[in-house]
Amino acid sequence: MVTRPLRSPFAYTPRPGPLQSASPGAAVAYLGALVAAAFLYSSPLVLAAAGAGAALAGHAAGADRAVRAALRMGVTLALLIVAVNALVVNRGETVLLRLGHLPLLGRVDVTVEALAAGAVIGLRAAVAMVGFAVYSACVDPDRVLRALRPLAGRSALTAALISRLVPVAAADAARLRDAARLRGPAAAPLGRATLARRLLTGSLDRAVDVAATLELRGYSLTRPDAARGGVLGRSDRVTDKKVRSPHLPPCVLAPLGLGRGGNRLKSRFDARFYLAGAAVLVAAIVGKVVGADGFHAYPTVEWGVEPATVALSALIVLSGLAPRRRNA
Amino acid sequence: MPELASKPRAVPALAIERLSYAYPATGQATRFTLGPAEGPNVKRALREVSLTLAAGEFALLAGRSACGKTTLLRAACGLVPHFHGGEIEGRVEVGGRDAIAAGPGGLAAAVGYLAQDPETQVVSTTVAAEIALPLELRDTPPASRARAVEEVALALAIPHLLDRTVDTLSGGELQRVALAATLVTRPNLVLLDEPTSQLDPVAGDELIWLLRRLNEEWGVTVLLAEHRLERCLPAADRVIAMDTGTISFDGPPTDFLAWAQQADAALETPAAQLFSLAGIDPLPTGVRQARDTLRTAKPSPGRAPGGWGGPPRSGVPFSAPTPRSDGRNLRGGKPSKRGTPPTPRPSPPTATARALWVELGDAEERHDVLKGIDLTIDGGERIALMGRNGAGKSTLLRTLAGLVDPVKGRVETPRGIALLTQNPSDYLARERVGDELPGAAGLAALRTVGLEHIVDADPRDLSGGERQRLALAIALAGRMDGDEPPGLVALDEPTRGMDRARKSDLIELIEGLAGHGAGVVVATHDVEFAATFAERVVLLGAGVVIADGAAAEILSGGWYFATEVARILDLPGVITPEDGAAILVGEDG
Repeated sequence: MVTRPLRSPFAYTPRPGPLQSASPGAAVAYLGALVAAAFLYSSPLVLAAAGAGAALAGHAAGADRAVRAALRMGVTLALLIVAVNALVVNRGETVLLRLGHLPLLGRVDVTVEALAAGAVIGLRAAVAMVGFAVYSACVDPDRVLRALRPLAGRSALTAALISRLVPVAAADAARLRDAARLRGPAAAPLGRATLARRLLTGSLDRAVDVAATLELRGYSLTRPDAARGGVLGRSDRVTDKKVRSPHLPPCVLAPLGLGRGGNRLKSRFDARFYLAGAAVLVAAIVGKVVGADGFHAYPTVEWGVEPATVALSALIVLSGLAPRRRNA
Repeated sequence: MPELASKPRAVPALAIERLSYAYPATGQATRFTLGPAEGPNVKRALREVSLTLAAGEFALLAGRSACGKTTLLRAACGLVPHFHGGEIEGRVEVGGRDAIAAGPGGLAAAVGYLAQDPETQVVSTTVAAEIALPLELRDTPPASRARAVEEVALALAIPHLLDRTVDTLSGGELQRVALAATLVTRPNLVLLDEPTSQLDPVAGDELIWLLRRLNEEWGVTVLLAEHRLERCLPAADRVIAMDTGTISFDGPPTDFLAWAQQADAALETPAAQLFSLAGIDPLPTGVRQARDTLRTAKPSPGRAPGGWGGPPRSGVPFSAPTPRSDGRNLRGGKPSKRGTPPTPRPSPPTATARALWVELGDAEERHDVLKGIDLTIDGGERIALMGRNGAGKSTLLRTLAGLVDPVKGRVETPRGIALLTQNPSDYLARERVGDELPGAAGLAALRTVGLEHIVDADPRDLSGGERQRLALAIALAGRMDGDEPPGLVALDEPTRGMDRARKSDLIELIEGLAGHGAGVVVATHDVEFAATFAERVVLLGAGVVIADGAAAEILSGGWYFATEVARILDLPGVITPEDGAAILVGEDG
């Protein structure tokens, strides 16, 4: 049997959910709005709401594993940022700890304000990671690349190859690690550099094989053109007028969901995600204008929580329910 | 050999005329040149090959490893010389089009090529996208694309896979997906390079008959390279045998069997061996024909000792059935060079598994792969571990080797274990054999596998069989007691892509290890190989042991996990041509 390593928690997993069925543009608009809100605001409340919204969206879309992994990585990264910010930034009036002179850093005073500022940056990074994790686990990369193909056909195919070779390289690395563990104690030990070199040469060989496959599939025949849509997922509805040609019997078209609508790939869930994303983005911009982001770290921490901040946070959290099935 | 000048009116699917080709030397650019492949260091992979394949033919390409089968297929699809470079001379036409001028891109509409390793042939994330990619590259409208994807998925019985991601598929599923991507453009000619080498007997048989159905119903011309000829011969219209870059035989399957009997016993099928040993004519291409012949044939008066079509082959040990006869090998039933292996010393178990449960998978989708396995392996035992793809064979070996922790139960290997996984190249990381295995312990390991004379060689220059032995030596190094191997030696699918001669060498190695007291477990899909080396077969099904017993008993008691001889004769305990011939001759005499 082909032995396969555990799949990455961020790997795309097809599920029959609204977010997975949505067109890539709608999914990107929705998740991008949540991440954009995090980058527009410094208020910890709004940032926490954006994180909660993204996590809720992942949960509703069945991507709990990706969310958990992203949270673990995000929290670790946030703690690192807090620590680094506390050591390298001496601003702030509330000194917690005087560490004196340290090599390279000079005089180091750990302040509450620097800790708070670091926490805000770290929280923002964590929100971005959760948002990306949900995107990665729920949006079919083939559909994304197809959507990009009219803009840059060759680049999109190159990106497709890379996205395919990454998990293959991960599987190769797992196999090589196993083989290294199985070496007898008297065999020459393998260091990380040797393994990395071996993995690189193996990946190059694979890349050559994949290039040969592409050539055989007809890569050099014509320039890819996705203007008329792409490969079908079961939730896609192809609405090319040619579909309604009398030459194609309904028994073929019906199971594929063909034969209705306009002239491009779309999902019945698209409107929901475009609306949710637009609501979050508009509310975030309006909130910014009316002063919903009152947080300041320096010279002393000001939380600046206004009713508008709370309302915006509530809206962002609620938007996390958009991927939920109505009958769920 | 038919030449282009005398080709029939209909354009042949493939026409090759006086084709010679040499791969570029290591380090040389992969540009190709037209002209004779000559020179002191030039090793020609193809020599003056001429061949015509009519539209709608199903041809089987046979021959030992490195005889030029893969190169011929690559030349037919344009990869040789366009992708590999080298020097080429002669002509190749696919559907009337000059393949050397067109290259693989130009031929893509006319020819489909499926290589041995499906992992290297998928480029998309999901199955539906992978199958649709060739159509997308041809700018096929979405509706036509959707229909073609659906139809090819139905034809290959994989519609349930369409929404899966390719990294969740088994080897067999992946092979079918790659075949679907090859067929979705409906090419006239399909070239397949050992497509069943990673498949279990069930999936392998299904794939061959699927190809036959596509050949008959869609009119696809098929050129299939395979080592397990017994699986493919019944489906083939024609056999082309190659030897060191030339075509040594080209004709119908029945004539091929008669030719192989004289020219290269390693290409004989077990059924043909059985009939040949028993002196029965004609040699059968498959189980059905063999059974029909045995049912209807009458003894001939002049035949001795029996009465079939002719005298049995001389030198065959016609004796009572010897289900566990030692010393036999895969080369025409001759005794192995090593002869009868030494009887192993009585020893305590070298491996035990008790109530072994193993879970694998993602955190949210963990599932039991092994379910309460109980197994004891004694020193000197030669065991074939069999079962369909995904039955848990590799997981069991990995658990015994400590790569996987069981969730319940325990494993003991008191005298150590050396495991060789499916890809021996994974063990090789340095550019000199001696650097991989330094010191006295390294040399002892090399001696055990018979490679002590290549200490200064570059592993990349070794043959496939030598690389496999070297990888095993790396796994053995330091786990040996002097020259004695560890208690358990486990090999995971070691015969992929091997011809019978190399399998025979492997059997010698296994016998040697067992003779020195090591229990040897080999996970394999190759029933004929198992029948030849194993004295015991453990059959796994969905993580449980569904059969465990003497090889002759297990490999004669079923349909898929049974040898060709067992399927022909359907007699308990009779699994090899020698056993079967002895029965036939005995019955008749």
